[in-house]
Amino acid sequence: MIEAEDISKTYARGDGGTVEALKKVSFQIAPGEFVAVRGASGSGKSTLLNLLGCLDRPSSGSYRLDGEDVARYSDKQLSRIRNARIGFIFQSFNLLPRTTALENVEMPMVYGDGHVDRRRAISALERVGLAARANHFATELSGGEEQRVAIARALINTPALILADEPTGNLDLNAGREVMRLLEDLHHEGRTILLVTHDDAIAAYAAREILLRDGAIASDRSGASKPLHPAVDPVVGGAV
Amino acid sequence: MKAGKLLSQATRSMRRYRLRTLLMMLGIVVGIASLAVLTSIGEATKRETMQRFKNMIGTFDTIMVRPGGGRSRGMPTLVNVPPTLRFEDANAIASELPEIRAVAEMQTAFDVDVKYRDHAASPVVIGVSPNWLELRLEEVADGAFFTNEQNASLARAAVIGTDLRAALFPDEDPLGKTFRIADAPFQVIGVLKSRGAGPAGGSLDNLVLVPVNTAARRLFNRDFLTMLIAQVKDPDRSTEATDKVAALLRERHHIQPPALDDFTITNPAATMAQVSRAGSTLTKILTGVAIMALLIGGVVIMSLMSIAVSERRKEIGVRRAGGAARSDIVFQFLFEATFVALAGGIVGVVIGWGGMQLATRMQKLPPILVWRPFATAILLSLMIGLVFGIYPAWKASQIDPIQALRS
Repeated sequence: MIEAEDISKTYARGDGGTVEALKKVSFQIAPGEFVAVRGASGSGKSTLLNLLGCLDRPSSGSYRLDGEDVARYSDKQLSRIRNARIGFIFQSFNLLPRTTALENVEMPMVYGDGHVDRRRAISALERVGLAARANHFATELSGGEEQRVAIARALINTPALILADEPTGNLDLNAGREVMRLLEDLHHEGRTILLVTHDDAIAAYAAREILLRDGAIASDRSGASKPLHPAVDPVVGGAV
Repeated sequence: MKAGKLLSQATRSMRRYRLRTLLMMLGIVVGIASLAVLTSIGEATKRETMQRFKNMIGTFDTIMVRPGGGRSRGMPTLVNVPPTLRFEDANAIASELPEIRAVAEMQTAFDVDVKYRDHAASPVVIGVSPNWLELRLEEVADGAFFTNEQNASLARAAVIGTDLRAALFPDEDPLGKTFRIADAPFQVIGVLKSRGAGPAGGSLDNLVLVPVNTAARRLFNRDFLTMLIAQVKDPDRSTEATDKVAALLRERHHIQPPALDDFTITNPAATMAQVSRAGSTLTKILTGVAIMALLIGGVVIMSLMSIAVSERRKEIGVRRAGGAARSDIVFQFLFEATFVALAGGIVGVVIGWGGMQLATRMQKLPPILVWRPFATAILLSLMIGLVFGIYPAWKASQIDPIQALRS
């Protein structure tokens, strides 16, 4: 699924120097894995997410997605891959302003083959339990509802890889738990999920945890010890 | 198909930002409306002026000679011209100058009393030579025009204008009727086709035409002319012919420069060229003003779109993450700018067309529909949208989605 080999990312700094945000990072993620990427701020986890999400190209190294080396792809090719294979979920939801939930969910279809299938958009909203809210504007939704619309939008083109950047960071406990349950369900359906977080409790949902420190992998643990269905709710704590 | 969906995305976002869309349209609306109004009024005025000139002078292959050294105002009549232009001058021009095909002689008198039974009127009475009809491209609607024989025999024959017919013969056929011009009896042999309005707007149909020899001997007792009309053989060389006529008249009237001419020659072809040049200069100036307004409208679109792009950074980031390529973003914003400009252009044309109707009514011009400025205006607004939309659209496509999503 994901094969990253020696990928580095270097940024130019304002004073003429450079910052090495990622230093020759290599790892593989198999289809269907649920991986949490953790690290302090500045550790390079956002950079890694942008590279894996094809929003950016590595300065060096190779990145193979489903066997395709996308590290040197053009803007158009990368856009096509983002559209068809990757679903993004953001901390701040990022719904289009002044736009209904349904139109938000339909948006990625426009950039695919251009065929907007309204029924599919509605069933995606049903999937996240918001079909009744299809014609509500983003401002009329609660934070948790907004994030669920965003998840429906990420799912609309049935991507294999879902990239979630602190998806519960702006949510209260209940809403956060709801979002994590949705992600877990998607995982059980066989989708690959990569979750960026600095929250231990959220990271605990994932079976594997990659810890970044100063742009390099500090540890990569497969949490065989972690049960698929944790007996203890890691968000709220205590017995479920 | 994909383009269609991108279009619908663009129209949706324009609906989302209604106020901004309206403001962007406003500049173009004003520019296009003024462009359409100004150019159409200019064009309509020009056409109307040309038409009136044509009504007055008849054709463009003639030059006109009037007695007196110029600066005389209004129509020359027997009471306001010096007796310097003679019948012999007309004959000499016709026979001696190869550039001239024919010469018509005229004696004009205003406000002559005419009577028929208990009807009276004061039309213009003009003695004209029989070739006047042909030189002026006039037509007789009923009856006939007088002949050279009638002119030579001092026949008391008259051809009347439609206004005079209405005044003297409201209920009967005027042909064959005898009426009085200043107490002298004349028989109506024809009615002139209506000639419409002259340059000042007055009717040209309140007149009586009689043979010029009859007028000179039996009516006015004057042996000089108020005007002669010379038809040139080659209208393209009317200036040359004008010079020849002037030279001949100077010779006949013993005028040596620097003495001033005792006649004035007008060359309608040259005058017309001047009129239409003046008209087109006016049109050019007005068009320039309106184009300035349009450019300002374009700049307004550009700046508001640029602001919109910065405000919609996040949207651009989300769209990019959802699979929009840079070209899709360019297309969306370029389409928005173009659509706004085009819509503004169409609204402007509608307003401009209404304004033009109003203006022509107020100026009492006949409503002439000039479509070309409107078509040009719509095309122009489309181009303005494209040209001034390119920069903001390009700027939008250059936004880094990562930065945009983080903000």
